[in-house]
Amino acid sequence: MKSINKIIIILLCAAAIAGCKKSFLDRPSNSQISSNNFYKTTSDLRLATASLYAGAQWWRWNKSAMLPIGDVLAGTGSFGYSQDLVQLFTRTITAQNSYVSETWIGLYNIVAQCNTVINAIQQQADPSIPLTDRNAAVAEAKFIRAVAYYHLAVYWGAVPIIEDNSKLIDNPLLNRNIIRDVYKFATKDLTYAAQHLPKTDEKGRLTTWSAQGMLGKVYLTMAGVGKSGGVRDQALLDSAKKYAGNVCKNSGLSLFPSYYDLFKAQNNDSPEALFALQWTAGASYGTGNDLQTWYAPTSEVLPQKNGGWQSLAPTYDLYRMYSAKDTVRRKATIMLNGDYYPELNQAGGGYKATGTGMKKHIIGNEKDNNSPTMGQWSSIEHNAVLRLADVYLVYAEAILGNNSTTSDADALLYFNKVRTRAGVDPVTVITPNLLRVERRVEFAYEGQYWIDLVRYSYYDPTNAVKLLNDQDATHGRIGFSYDPITKIATRDTTALPSALPATLSSFTLPIPASEMTSDPKLAEPPVPYY
Amino acid sequence: MNQTISIRKLPVFLWLVVSIVLLHLDGYAQERQITGKIVSNEDSAPLSGATIQVKMKNKSTSANENGQFSIRANKGDVLIFRMIGFKQQEITIGDGSVVNVRLKADRTDLDEVVIGYAKAPRKDITGSISSITGDDLRQTQPTTFDQALQGKVAGVVVQQVSGQPGGGVSIQIRGVSSISGSNSPLFVIDGVIIPPVNDPGSGSNPLNAINPAEIESIDVLKDASATAIYGSQATNGVVVITTKRGKIGAPSISYDFYTGFQEIPSRLPTVDLQQLATFINARAAVWGFDSRPEFANPQYLGKGTDWQDALFRKAPMTSHTMTIRGGDPRTQYLLSASYFNQDGIALGSDFKRYSVRLNLDNQTTNWLKIGTSLQLAHVDENVAATGNNVISTALNNTPDIAVTNSDGSWGAVTNTSGWVQPSANPVALATIIKDLRKRNQIFGNVYAEIQLAKGLSLRNELSGNFDFNTEDHFSPSYTFGKGTPSQSNGSSEASENFYTVIRNFLTYNHSFRKLKFDALAGHEAQESTFHKVSAGRRNFPSNNVQAIDGGDPTTATNGGDNSLSNPKGGSAQESYFGRINFSWDDKYLLTGNIRNDGSSKFPTNNRWVTTYSGGFAWKIKNEAFLKDIGSINDLKLRLGYGLTNNQGIQDNTFVTQLTSVSNGLSGTAQFQSNLANPNVTWEKTDYYNAGIDGSFFNNRLSFSFDVYDRQTDGLLLKVPLPLYSGTSAGYSPGSMTAPYVNVGKVSNKGFDFQISSTNINAKNFSWKTSVTVSRNVNKVIYLGSGGDQANLSTSFNNDIIQTTVVGQPIGQFYGYVFDGVYATPNDFQTHARPVNSAGTPYPISSSGGGIWYGDRMFKDLNGDGIIDSKDKTFLGSPIPKFQFGVNNTFNYKNFDLNVFFSGSYGNKVFNQLAVSQTDPQNNTSYFTSILNYARLALVNPNGAASDVNNVYVTNPNTTVVGLRNDNTNGNNRPNNLFIEDGSFIRCKNITLGYRVPEDFLSKIHIRSLRVYANVSNAFIITKYKGMDPEVGSWNPLQAGWDGGYYAQPRVFTFGANITLK
Repeated sequence: MKSINKIIIILLCAAAIAGCKKSFLDRPSNSQISSNNFYKTTSDLRLATASLYAGAQWWRWNKSAMLPIGDVLAGTGSFGYSQDLVQLFTRTITAQNSYVSETWIGLYNIVAQCNTVINAIQQQADPSIPLTDRNAAVAEAKFIRAVAYYHLAVYWGAVPIIEDNSKLIDNPLLNRNIIRDVYKFATKDLTYAAQHLPKTDEKGRLTTWSAQGMLGKVYLTMAGVGKSGGVRDQALLDSAKKYAGNVCKNSGLSLFPSYYDLFKAQNNDSPEALFALQWTAGASYGTGNDLQTWYAPTSEVLPQKNGGWQSLAPTYDLYRMYSAKDTVRRKATIMLNGDYYPELNQAGGGYKATGTGMKKHIIGNEKDNNSPTMGQWSSIEHNAVLRLADVYLVYAEAILGNNSTTSDADALLYFNKVRTRAGVDPVTVITPNLLRVERRVEFAYEGQYWIDLVRYSYYDPTNAVKLLNDQDATHGRIGFSYDPITKIATRDTTALPSALPATLSSFTLPIPASEMTSDPKLAEPPVPYY
Repeated sequence: MNQTISIRKLPVFLWLVVSIVLLHLDGYAQERQITGKIVSNEDSAPLSGATIQVKMKNKSTSANENGQFSIRANKGDVLIFRMIGFKQQEITIGDGSVVNVRLKADRTDLDEVVIGYAKAPRKDITGSISSITGDDLRQTQPTTFDQALQGKVAGVVVQQVSGQPGGGVSIQIRGVSSISGSNSPLFVIDGVIIPPVNDPGSGSNPLNAINPAEIESIDVLKDASATAIYGSQATNGVVVITTKRGKIGAPSISYDFYTGFQEIPSRLPTVDLQQLATFINARAAVWGFDSRPEFANPQYLGKGTDWQDALFRKAPMTSHTMTIRGGDPRTQYLLSASYFNQDGIALGSDFKRYSVRLNLDNQTTNWLKIGTSLQLAHVDENVAATGNNVISTALNNTPDIAVTNSDGSWGAVTNTSGWVQPSANPVALATIIKDLRKRNQIFGNVYAEIQLAKGLSLRNELSGNFDFNTEDHFSPSYTFGKGTPSQSNGSSEASENFYTVIRNFLTYNHSFRKLKFDALAGHEAQESTFHKVSAGRRNFPSNNVQAIDGGDPTTATNGGDNSLSNPKGGSAQESYFGRINFSWDDKYLLTGNIRNDGSSKFPTNNRWVTTYSGGFAWKIKNEAFLKDIGSINDLKLRLGYGLTNNQGIQDNTFVTQLTSVSNGLSGTAQFQSNLANPNVTWEKTDYYNAGIDGSFFNNRLSFSFDVYDRQTDGLLLKVPLPLYSGTSAGYSPGSMTAPYVNVGKVSNKGFDFQISSTNINAKNFSWKTSVTVSRNVNKVIYLGSGGDQANLSTSFNNDIIQTTVVGQPIGQFYGYVFDGVYATPNDFQTHARPVNSAGTPYPISSSGGGIWYGDRMFKDLNGDGIIDSKDKTFLGSPIPKFQFGVNNTFNYKNFDLNVFFSGSYGNKVFNQLAVSQTDPQNNTSYFTSILNYARLALVNPNGAASDVNNVYVTNPNTTVVGLRNDNTNGNNRPNNLFIEDGSFIRCKNITLGYRVPEDFLSKIHIRSLRVYANVSNAFIITKYKGMDPEVGSWNPLQAGWDGGYYAQPRVFTFGANITLK
């Protein structure tokens, strides 16, 4: 009996020792999907590309680059404190500047997400998904990647181009690629996107018009690269004209009727928005739109009355760009002492400004927007990266090209559409300076002015440097106070220059110090990509 | 029974016998009746059945149930006392006729060690294994046992990660071999594996559920020949914890108690109100703004608030443990229950543990033995202090802020100047915020051991560790001064971690003449799963309604919100293993291990791996030429080699993981959360060890010395690629998790040394000393294709302060070399200046954007005339060069005194807090050293203050910069001022104990009673300027950062160990 027991036990143990099922060691995550088994249907592809329109990878650029570089460095917004922001305002940027490194990280995060989506769809998407759908999804990712590279090129010039992040595992150290190739890379992506994106899609999604508009803008920028004396490459200007013109004339899109209402959250993703970030309420820190939380002039109008830590005030230099009639854009963009904004803090009877401050992106609290989960890290504003008005002005600038004036009918038509929408008088002649001012006023606090200045510095460095230095020379790069009674703006005309004198190198940001240490090859001269 | 009766009658009988002998055999000899009592030294339990023999005579007896005996012997005879499980003792008969004996338990000698699935006599092991007893461990009054290992075991580096009650320590056995994998050893408690923890985060330590009072012994398996049997989880060594078990004999009931309090060991020199006002006034004079009317006359101000006083307290702690153990030859049992309660020295931190343990062993039949080890524990922790960083917040608050205002509201910054950042009130945070963690843990095993044939047995084990955790967090609505009002929010989290192992193995042993042989072979399957859900709401109608459902339902969030953490998953491992041991003539020992592991963490093509090792030992003492040398009791040489494999990476890193994120376009969307490496494979370590053990002079001196060389290849790194890769090895919203890559090679070489000696062994006085010394040299040999440029760096102020490069230890500090402040015109000639993005040095100018007097000078190490990142150098390592422990035990009559020092030499600490607190541009609080800011003066008082030749610094030797409103110079770039020497000697423990005499106790039904007083962390000798130089870290790439660290408290306790009759 006893020996039988033993035999049974031995057999049981032998069974155990013989091992577990082969699948015992397969433990796919229960809470995440792996890319190997995800891309089965068109809607899976749509979910993958949807994440490219907003979220954590866009957060850094949105918070640390768009306004700090696009407007503060450009002399539109001013800062008196907060060391790293002050560096941007005073042009004393060190390689340790956190906004600079955040911007670098953020843009390359966008590139990484796009690359991974593109490669996953190309390699792993189920063949049963229609080819047009696969191409359209890749086109969305390529468009967004192009936008990221465009900004990298504008901010830093030559930067490394990365198409497949997994190759960095074996070969992490890259050289910078020459600036022309970075722009060229963006145009190739955009050309693909223009070909494969649909003419229309659901609200907020990219269309071929987004891609063509962006293409026009990139060509316009690229036209000045390596040029001087104020003359740009005509062939590239023609390309800019072709694509921007196509959007102007054939897209069927038109400007949103009210400039002021365009920036309200209820008008998110209007047809004018060719590419807008798709932020959502309830996002946690580092994944949502927190522009108003940081840069609002007051916490009074914000969700949970939290924020306004780094109030971004306008400079006098911006203020003086507004003509007397340009009140709609002025009030939608900056607050002056005494301005009343009924839509902000409605429960508290609206908000009456007590000083100068930024208005654009300030959309109020969660009740104003009827969005209970909107919090300090999750404004529901879908701020646009590319607007139709931008393409109109790109078109006009491409037509103006290397001429000192133009009265081209098309150029005037679209240029004046932008002006009349804002309630200012149309013009009959366009000059380069008029265009620059128009762009600055139209897109103030949308991160565009620095892009415009860098573009200018490519083909007319002397005057671009002068333009920056004139901000200080004419006591413009400085905050101001506004008297609501007399309606007079006052600034300190005896103040010392706020910024170090600009030079041509002022138009290129330093590569973050830690990145230079990680990859010493970045210090080498850039190499061609193509 | 008969014997008992006869012994009871003995006194009468004996008296008769003695009388007769004395009458009739007078002169023949002085043989007389010797009586006495034999008890256990440990708990004074009588040892019934102990034998007493007169040496060299064929005469013996045994002790009765009360441990009493009687035997006839002559003066000068030697009595030998023996008992199974105890060390034998010899006593020479003197003039007295009463001989009371305390036998020491054999276990305390650690003659047996756990070598992986089995025990072996210490004298027969070939690997490098150090052991300590539970008694040794408990000397330092540890909250958790891992804290107590410091300095006790050579080769083991223990660093406290947080002084939070129950907080974790980092333990490294013989260096850091893995950068992103865990460097923690494998913990095996009664055969139950506690999976290694990568980062217990804010103070929660999975090992804190074990009551140190229940530990019998700890064996630390160090080299590959010892650890290989545990396979891939054991590359970093194994800590085997054996709990006390029942034993044959009368039941013993014991009660251990201690109580005491803890206090902060030292304070940081923060400024008082007068000093703050003086400083702010001076700064305002330079800045031209920020003069504060309330500071106008500093001499009339008081000291202001001392935030350290406000936050830190004398905190009580108490422990009670009741243990009952006993058994008969068939069944032995141990049942214990304990309660432990500790408040933290910082407000908002405390720890309570309730635990019950049952250990049972039963010899069911002559071929079957079954048993269980079972522990139930419940832990309550308040982690509000750690979760809200109250310590650094307290150190940041200025003394002009009251803890509470006169109206009862919490004090906080009210200064409306934009540059003065609002600050939280740490006392308020620690008081009003609720952050409670509860943990219920069941762990244990059941086994059946079947004797199949002589020498052959089969053991089946099922063991598991089941953890159920909840965390309850509520933060009420509050407003601190000018800070923005905080909305109330609450969250609740529940998680469970299940870990189970099924293990079956056969053991066989046999002897052929001089050859002894044993073998083991088995199979093991492990599975672990975890699961977590959380929910949160904001905007509660009242701060008293703290249940989650009281919050505003429209603000509800759930676990999906924090989607970048993986709330559900698991891993599995399957293994086959075997071991053989040969012993020839008790002189030559040979061990071989092999194990094959399969892990779910690797892609199918790399899933299985083989680990093997071999060890050889030569018992020199047993050779003929040493056999007769009495002064040598033992001498053994050991050699071992092994190849082990490590799998210390997260699950599923070999595929791209998609996580759901909320999105304005489609509700949710899929975000790619990691950069996958489909080729990731095991980390391999080649491990050589040589050691020698000896013991001399009747075992009064013993030592153990080991040298080792371990080289890890295919180092698994969560490799921090350049930022342009879009990946990050740490927390970084929007970046993908960096890929795990097998790059690099790291070497750890060193020695560990342990020596114990009985310095004095007199009748009433003994003095014993033991010393451990551990030395490890860590060096990175190779770092993959990135070469020494691979970016394993951590930044501070957006500049690299810690880096890992080839030829240096992991995680070296890195930065500029401070060279004084600009103090004379000549300094501007002799010192290079930093450059702007165009490479041009910044101008010498007192206005913004220039470099000026009082700015820090840095050494131009590469001599290119400018200061840039090429001038950075290595500033030392956070890894100690040596760690050591010195333990002294004194016994005088019934008194015992233990004094234990542990220390560390040669490690650096980044005093992060000092950076901001000595920066004049900072607007939080300051250390008093700020008052020594660089003071500028004019050569010609009527000359220009902006003339470089007209200015000088009156205190040129200062390290604190001047009062400028400009930092173009980058004064706080990482430099050696911030990296301090972290060497220390800490008096870890002083215990004075007294054993109350038994004759007194016997009247009150107590068998034994020891009372003691103890001071832990009594004092520390160090040059470090922060609170505590012992700053552990789980991340070797960011080790040694002290940023408002929860210091280890000084603890005073009083306690008693009581055994009932």
